[in-house]
Amino acid sequence: MNQQLSKTARKTWIVINIISIILIVSFFYLGQLLEVPAVFFAGGGVSVIIAITSFIKVFIKTGLWKMVHSSQHSLDERQVQVILNAMKYSYSIFTILIIAIVYGFALFNKGPVNVLVAACLLYIAHILPAAIIGWSEKYV
Amino acid sequence: MKSRKLYNRISVLRKERNISRQELAEIIGVNFQTIGYLEREEYNPSLDLAFKISEYFELPVEMIFSPNPMKSLSEEIRELKQKSGGQ
Repeated sequence: MNQQLSKTARKTWIVINIISIILIVSFFYLGQLLEVPAVFFAGGGVSVIIAITSFIKVFIKTGLWKMVHSSQHSLDERQVQVILNAMKYSYSIFTILIIAIVYGFALFNKGPVNVLVAACLLYIAHILPAAIIGWSEKYV
Repeated sequence: MKSRKLYNRISVLRKERNISRQELAEIIGVNFQTIGYLEREEYNPSLDLAFKISEYFELPVEMIFSPNPMKSLSEEIRELKQKSGGQ
């Protein structure tokens, strides 16, 4: 049985999860800027733990992750409709995010997007539909 | 195109049959949350799902779903009686 979280609790955990991802990248650049790798390892490590905890809490325990990654045959018509709608918004949000990052890197002469940013983007691409459903649906 | 809100009697009929949302969901092959969404009239079912529900309750589909707010079953029966001459 999936754990039920209120809409407000779900929203809070989604925000925590996304902030922790932003923090991982921020600590990486802060460590580079200060030339102190310990900043990245300490801050980044804590952020990773927060990201994993919030991911389990809001996406795994509520069944959102399973729902979004299930085959359409195992879902009912309402769930399929909800997922398709979330995918539509994810596509738009992710496109805007990618364009902003690519232009941001070009504008500030940061060179090509590094592996850490790419990994974080890959993670965001995967959680976005589930996050949108968790954010907007009354019950999941 | 924005679809019309559909009203229904699923909640009343389910309680009358004394079955849980979970049981009804399993019978008609949907997630139990979908039954909640249907009962709260927050989701309009497809024609196929509406027919599955009407087949389970053994009632015509128009007795369960309507684009207009639904009268109570007792009111409906009273009107039917009046139409048929008060028998």
